[in-house]
Amino acid sequence: MAMDVSRPDSSQPGFSQPDFARSPRGGSRSSWRVARSVWFAMFMRETISRTMADRMGWFWMIFEPLAIIGVMVSVRGLFMSGRHIAGADYVAWMVVGLMGFMLFRENMMRSIGAIEANRGLFAYRQVKPVDPVLVRCFLEGMLKSLIFILFITIGSLLKFELMPDYPFGAMMDWMSLWALGWGTGLTLSVLADLVPEIGKVARILNLPLLLLSGVIFPVLYVPHQYREYLLMNPIVHGLESMRMNFFSGYHTIDGIDMTYLWFWALALISLGLILHTRFRDQLKAH
Amino acid sequence: MIEIRNLYKRYHNHHGSQWVLKDINLTIPTGVSVGLLGRNGAGKSTLLRLIGGMDSPDRGDIVRNSRVSWPIGLAGGFQGSMTGRQNVKFVARIHGADEEIERVVREVEAFAEIGDAFDEPVKTYSSGMRSRLAFGLSLAFDFDVYLSDEATAVGDRAFKAKAKEAFKARVGKASLIMVSHGEGVLREFCEAGIVLEKGQARWYDDIEEAIGAYHQATDGRKVEPPKIPTSLSEAKQQLMQANLEFEQVRLEYQIASDDPARNNPDDALRWRMEESRERMHEARRYVQQFQSQAKAKPRKRTTKTTKKTGRP
Repeated sequence: MAMDVSRPDSSQPGFSQPDFARSPRGGSRSSWRVARSVWFAMFMRETISRTMADRMGWFWMIFEPLAIIGVMVSVRGLFMSGRHIAGADYVAWMVVGLMGFMLFRENMMRSIGAIEANRGLFAYRQVKPVDPVLVRCFLEGMLKSLIFILFITIGSLLKFELMPDYPFGAMMDWMSLWALGWGTGLTLSVLADLVPEIGKVARILNLPLLLLSGVIFPVLYVPHQYREYLLMNPIVHGLESMRMNFFSGYHTIDGIDMTYLWFWALALISLGLILHTRFRDQLKAH
Repeated sequence: MIEIRNLYKRYHNHHGSQWVLKDINLTIPTGVSVGLLGRNGAGKSTLLRLIGGMDSPDRGDIVRNSRVSWPIGLAGGFQGSMTGRQNVKFVARIHGADEEIERVVREVEAFAEIGDAFDEPVKTYSSGMRSRLAFGLSLAFDFDVYLSDEATAVGDRAFKAKAKEAFKARVGKASLIMVSHGEGVLREFCEAGIVLEKGQARWYDDIEEAIGAYHQATDGRKVEPPKIPTSLSEAKQQLMQANLEFEQVRLEYQIASDDPARNNPDDALRWRMEESRERMHEARRYVQQFQSQAKAKPRKRTTKTTKKTGRP
């Protein structure tokens, strides 16, 4: 049988030993090269487990956002029929908002589980707890970008206007949201590993954040006196800016400022990296 | 050469924090295989992790002027949801063997001999299969120092012999630092020993001395190095002794076996029982060897006599 562990012939003295003597590593490597090899190895591993491990991994990756968009559009059609978004088709408007928000959310949520899922690999001193988080965020961003491009392409082929009017600006906004998710993920991955409750709270905050980011409701409907509080949420800035770049006729509230979003993103990335450096041993030891 | 200078380590836990390792100064010379001894919780695995760079010391430093492997053991190192092949590829990649991945995979597959299970998730493996894979994987890289955390604890006799042979082929090029509860394994692989006791480490040039010192410090038992018997009566005597010892340890183990912690692989008493069982088998083998030798002589004579008688 194939599972038979103790095949007796293996230990016979005549059994030819494979030659293990050659070195696959030439001397000691620079830390940059080590980090690059680790990231590549992790990337391959995460890609395989994300796309191949599930039987329908690829299917769900495309179908899930489609289903959410479908549900959201029908919900909106039921409760808010008659209201229009100035300067944009509301399905396209919602697709852009949802994709942008999901990019942020997936980066945040996947990072939280990243350290726990790769604990076994910290046996190799080359692998640091920050590596799986970085790699997962990168992979998530790549996958989401791919799916978004796929949607835009198929949409355009079906004469459904989803092509951004200012592609470069839209791309920059997409990257900004990615960076924001990356920073949130880096920070939360440490905090949630040290205090597991934080991970649960983050999960609970998902839905309020969806509503407060103007994904379903246009922020123009928010009364004037509350807008300044709404604008504290950096995701709003990213989403509205991206919508403006997608639809040239689209108008939104004043005060949309990408610098504010980048302030958050850079602050969170720095904080996350600092936390990862500070608590490296605790994260490994758990 | 590995140099450990003024090493302090403790874990901050809820029961206050005592030093696990306290002011350790050691120099492990190149090419000398060392066994780490100490009672449960004495910090053997901690020291091994520190040497392997998995953990960082609270004070002091470790100078590694050589390529040191990861601690080869059963606990970590593999991702359960990935197949054996994927795990091997991963480890090859983080060690920078990008161009030689195929070679590494082939060699590990040939060495581990786990058949089709190589393409099954590691979480489905038995501990014996895991140790085969771990050992094969570590041997695919050219380390100067191999760290072993009970890696040879499981696995059948044939695999142990094979692992030993593979390792012997590298004597002079590589050495070993190992933690094991099995004294037989330590005797086989190591020349020198380090005994950890109350956070302190002591170096012994001879592993036998280290084993002796360990027993003196822990249970006051005197252990003699195994002798190779020279005659049948001596072998029989040794067998009797080994039988007696095994019965004693087994009794002790059975008395203590109501304790739920008994299944712990770190249990010293269980290891002592395994050890004495091994000794008993060894003694029995010697007795059989002498007996067959003794039998072989008269049998020759009888065949001759039958020949003679059959001739006329």
